[in-house]
Amino acid sequence: MDEQQIWQVEEGETRSAGIIHIVITALLIGIGAVVGAFGSFSLPLGFGVNFFWPAIAVQNVGGIWFGAWGVIAASLFPIISNGITGTPVYVSLAYIPANLVQALLPMLAFRYFKADPRLNSKRDWIVFLASITLGNIFGALYSPLVVLKGFGLLTAESVPVFIWGWFGGNEVAGIIFGVILLKALSNVVITTNAFVKRWFA
Amino acid sequence: MKMNKTILGYVPEESPLYRIHPFVRVFFLLVVSLFPMLINAPEWNLAIIVLAIFLLKYSRVNLSTLKIYVPVSLSMGFLILLSHTVLGGIHPEFYVSFKLFGFPFYYERIVAAVDVYTRVLPMIFLTVLFLSTSRERDMLVAMRWAHVPFVVTYLVAMALRSVGMVIEDFSIVRQAEKARGFDPQGKSIAYKLRQFVMYIIPLFALALRRSDEFANAIVARGYSFTGLREVKRPDYILTQYRFRVRDGLLVAIISLSLVGVLIIRFGLGGLTLEGSLTLQWLELWLKGGAA
Repeated sequence: MDEQQIWQVEEGETRSAGIIHIVITALLIGIGAVVGAFGSFSLPLGFGVNFFWPAIAVQNVGGIWFGAWGVIAASLFPIISNGITGTPVYVSLAYIPANLVQALLPMLAFRYFKADPRLNSKRDWIVFLASITLGNIFGALYSPLVVLKGFGLLTAESVPVFIWGWFGGNEVAGIIFGVILLKALSNVVITTNAFVKRWFA
Repeated sequence: MKMNKTILGYVPEESPLYRIHPFVRVFFLLVVSLFPMLINAPEWNLAIIVLAIFLLKYSRVNLSTLKIYVPVSLSMGFLILLSHTVLGGIHPEFYVSFKLFGFPFYYERIVAAVDVYTRVLPMIFLTVLFLSTSRERDMLVAMRWAHVPFVVTYLVAMALRSVGMVIEDFSIVRQAEKARGFDPQGKSIAYKLRQFVMYIIPLFALALRRSDEFANAIVARGYSFTGLREVKRPDYILTQYRFRVRDGLLVAIISLSLVGVLIIRFGLGGLTLEGSLTLQWLELWLKGGAA
């Protein structure tokens, strides 16, 4: 199956959202919550921001493989993982746009540029790296500047530490784990019923 | 006192708090967590912490199970202090209370750090209180009672269940790797990182396999996607909980206290840092009464 066929809905092929997508969303929330809590306990910077957050890979690959369902899961699981590590509930809720964009951009990029999730070509790599980097830049700017400053939790001078903490913590983990997951499992995922070619199906 | 492990923490097997309807407990978390955002006076935020500790004791929560939150709370306090002082820049216009390793610690910055920390801490305590007194089932009952759509409740129920399954899978994978001589004790970060890679792939692979099993099981029970959205479901679980007059009164008290805080804060200009006892004490301690 080439990269064109991966995203192309064949003639006569009907695709609709089903129970499998609700299930995969729930399972992604489960994985993200556990992996996210692990990251939050290991290298915390504070308020749910970490120097190394492996759960970003769940957001990235979730969006690429499972479309909007992955994006929904990516938006919701940090509420659980942050909650387990004691982050205030309203701070976690305010992070939703950042988490959403971090999953949405790779999802859109792979569909728009018809990139192969198995990362076979240089172009696929560029799409992956550019989309996760842009998502992380948004998250790293939005969360400290809008959320943490908005709640009055940071001074203007300490904002750069949190911006770099968020960006670095997500970017490094996203590249390491994202690439490994895409390389190892994309071949299997694209043949499953749960794989999403468009937004929801 | 016997505690049960839930996916989100430890809850007491028996607790007087369980007599209160789950919706009231969720409502308490959501409303009272707003208070520290509205209140600047540290002593009032500390009073919320005292209330949370009292409720934890009253709920028969074994406080030793909450030890995991101590490093989180302390590191958060340290980071807040660090970000406001050492990383806070040079400000000749501020009052230097003392110098440490050449860094000036400004009075204004320390006050700001105390203000922020005493607002974050009660939110953490309230989250811990909620996680230590609420079972997964309680959250679902609260959502169903509040008429949250069935499909959303169903998703949350499955998500909470899957958190438990992933933790179980995580433990199995870890044991399997240990059995093959993969021991992280005393190893470098690079080694632990490599180990984490070996966790995340099996976890995902297991989740993919589970998704098919889960979906087939649900379809076999007659559920469909549209059915989850449109068909009215019998709420058996709600029949096990009664929303009593006492619960209604508690909701009213919590709502009124929010209104009260809003009036005092914005109508009467109270609960501010400027008029607080903590500020007077800090001024005396850090400025020695200097203006």
